[in-house]
Amino acid sequence: MVKHPAGYADGVLSGVAIQHTPIDPVALLAAVGDIAAGGNVLFVGTARGITDGVITKSLAYEAHEPLAWETLEAVRRQAIARFSLTACGIVHRLGLVVAGEASVAIAASAPHRREAFAAAEWLMERIKMDVPIWKCEEQDDGGRSWVHPVGAGRPGGVP
Amino acid sequence: MHSHHHAPDGATLRIALFAGMVEIAGARHVEVPWAGGTVADARRLVRAAHPTLAPLLDRSAFAVGSHYVADDAALVVGDDVAIIPPVSGG
Repeated sequence: MVKHPAGYADGVLSGVAIQHTPIDPVALLAAVGDIAAGGNVLFVGTARGITDGVITKSLAYEAHEPLAWETLEAVRRQAIARFSLTACGIVHRLGLVVAGEASVAIAASAPHRREAFAAAEWLMERIKMDVPIWKCEEQDDGGRSWVHPVGAGRPGGVP
Repeated sequence: MHSHHHAPDGATLRIALFAGMVEIAGARHVEVPWAGGTVADARRLVRAAHPTLAPLLDRSAFAVGSHYVADDAALVVGDDVAIIPPVSGG
């Protein structure tokens, strides 16, 4: 059996983390390694420094932390079942994230690569729809604006 | 699990706000008078008391504690209620 570093271990222990400290994607990838896995996908979302020509200095992330944690853990478990993953870990950062730094990382391992790729993509879509985390774009000129995308429906899929 | 807060002027429901809603309301919470009801009732009261929140409120979900709740869910004084506007994590 492969030993999992604390914090990202799959199965019995939690596989999600919401933290103000920088994300260590390599540690996350190592944590989902398993002798049964042949495909290991690591997705790292970074704070984009330029969007449609507008320079963003940094992003400030805020969360409803208990709900974000529960929702992340729920979608992680759904992904494990849906894509037959051997392991999966998700880390999201909060607070100030300077352009270029990682804001989110997902590691998904499966016996074959196709499921691992699909799981990472599916999880990012779910995070962007249902996990109560918000970003505030802080521009070079001091302007700042919270992002609340239009047209996605209410978060959480509740009527 | 639920903590009952002090309500000197009758029962109120305390509702947490996040992100852009905090900026619009100028506060991290809103309170509405509460004699019992559902999430849909709370929506109507918040909308009436804070019309500037209405555009985001219509696109928002409600949560109690660490779970999303539907519009027909009952809310009681002391519930840890939050309004969850469209999310932008990732």
